[in-house]
Amino acid sequence: MRFEGVWFRYARRAAWTLRDIGAAVEPGATVVVLGRNGAGKSTLLQLAAGVLRPVRGRVSDRPAIVGWVPERFPADQPFTAGDYLRRMALVRGVTDPHAADRWIERLLLTEHAATRLGDLSKGTAQKVGLAQALLLPPGLLVLDEPWEGLDAVARTLIPEIVAEVTHAGGIVLVSDHRGEITALPGAIHWTVSEHGLQPSPEKTPEGEVIVELAVRRSEATQAVAELRAAGHRVLRVKDPDADVRGAPVIAEPGRDPRARADRKPR
Amino acid sequence: MRIAGFVRGGRALAPLIAVLVELGVIYGGGASPAAVAYGYSAAALFPVLAWLTKLLLDTEPDVQRRLARLSVGPAREATGGLLAALVVALVVGAAAMAAPWLFHGIDPNKELASGMLLGVLAHLLAVPPAVAVGALASRAVTGSVRLGVTVLITAAVLVVVLGLSSSWAPWLVPPVMATARELADALPPTGSGVPPAGTIVLLVAWATAWCAVAFAGYGWLRRRRS
Repeated sequence: MRFEGVWFRYARRAAWTLRDIGAAVEPGATVVVLGRNGAGKSTLLQLAAGVLRPVRGRVSDRPAIVGWVPERFPADQPFTAGDYLRRMALVRGVTDPHAADRWIERLLLTEHAATRLGDLSKGTAQKVGLAQALLLPPGLLVLDEPWEGLDAVARTLIPEIVAEVTHAGGIVLVSDHRGEITALPGAIHWTVSEHGLQPSPEKTPEGEVIVELAVRRSEATQAVAELRAAGHRVLRVKDPDADVRGAPVIAEPGRDPRARADRKPR
Repeated sequence: MRIAGFVRGGRALAPLIAVLVELGVIYGGGASPAAVAYGYSAAALFPVLAWLTKLLLDTEPDVQRRLARLSVGPAREATGGLLAALVVALVVGAAAMAAPWLFHGIDPNKELASGMLLGVLAHLLAVPPAVAVGALASRAVTGSVRLGVTVLITAAVLVVVLGLSSSWAPWLVPPVMATARELADALPPTGSGVPPAGTIVLLVAWATAWCAVAFAGYGWLRRRRS
């Protein structure tokens, strides 16, 4: 699948959200789309899925079956979770009559199947959104902030499902602003900013493992520097209080300060 | 899925109450020949059916509409919505044709058979343009509640104002008022009870052409506002 000179804006006189995006993804690849809030991650994903059409340029060679998990599941519908998924299976032309029930079971939705969509918690509604995208095995799976609101058990399901889709030759595009990318170690990273798309084509080496550490805030900068000096890659630095304080703990040397606000130094 | 969501959501209630009130007003004044009663009930139904269509198409959240479009393709998603609205409008139209019998609003001794057939024709001529107006006022096209309501109300007013016999541009609106007038004018003693074949063909052609333009406009706007 390729983005060929894709430009997009939401209204005729609005500023461009995305400018001249050019990139290609091979079958079986996972792409994690990074970027600050409002950078256009969600827009890029919707262009990839075919939900939005480029104002200029085009997205070519998109697989026929696309599963899209929107950032916010549209829960304002008068259906129960089970009813909604069975209806979506019908709409999507799923021939397997048990497809909906299988995903209900796998995504631990069984006890919520009879609950109305509007009464579901955010995380459970997100799982319904995930299930509807998987009713047909997708050639392209687009996950917009899929970890948002999910509990610990459900979080582990995302890498599992991503791996299944890519092993079957499908493409997976995931956006992430919470720094969950460590859960997808083999992924390609794209960073969306006002300057366009900066693909980092090198995949994370397969032979690496991820070690999560906690360090004292006052020593964080030094710890990161020492780890880097020892040849390790620091994937992210997360400060639980940073959201409140609005500033990252660690400044990545030589980077645009706006990029630092993402708190995802690599 | 749309019809189920629409009915379960309860949003159909307000326009259906409006239909009842309208029919009560039309038929409350005593019995009249079927052609006249049905001609005016079809015209009165027009704005309500357009409103019902807008409500039905707007029931689905925007994100759900995009999910549906991704699932079945843009053409089938748009056509599916219109077909759902058409089915609902036809059911309401059929119910509106049955209603005067409850109110004793139709005089069974005056041109009943031909009046019934002409009534069906009048409703069939009103339903598709009403669906088209409702679709053009829907959120998927207008993008905002204010613009949607403005489109709906303007269209409903124009159908009446430009549909009057003194109108300077009757062809700008569907022939809802024109049909009601022709059915009333054709009654004895001035007419035979049935408008001339040429008039009926003209009304059908007029409604068809108007709908073709309106639905083509809807398709074009939906493609542009992806």
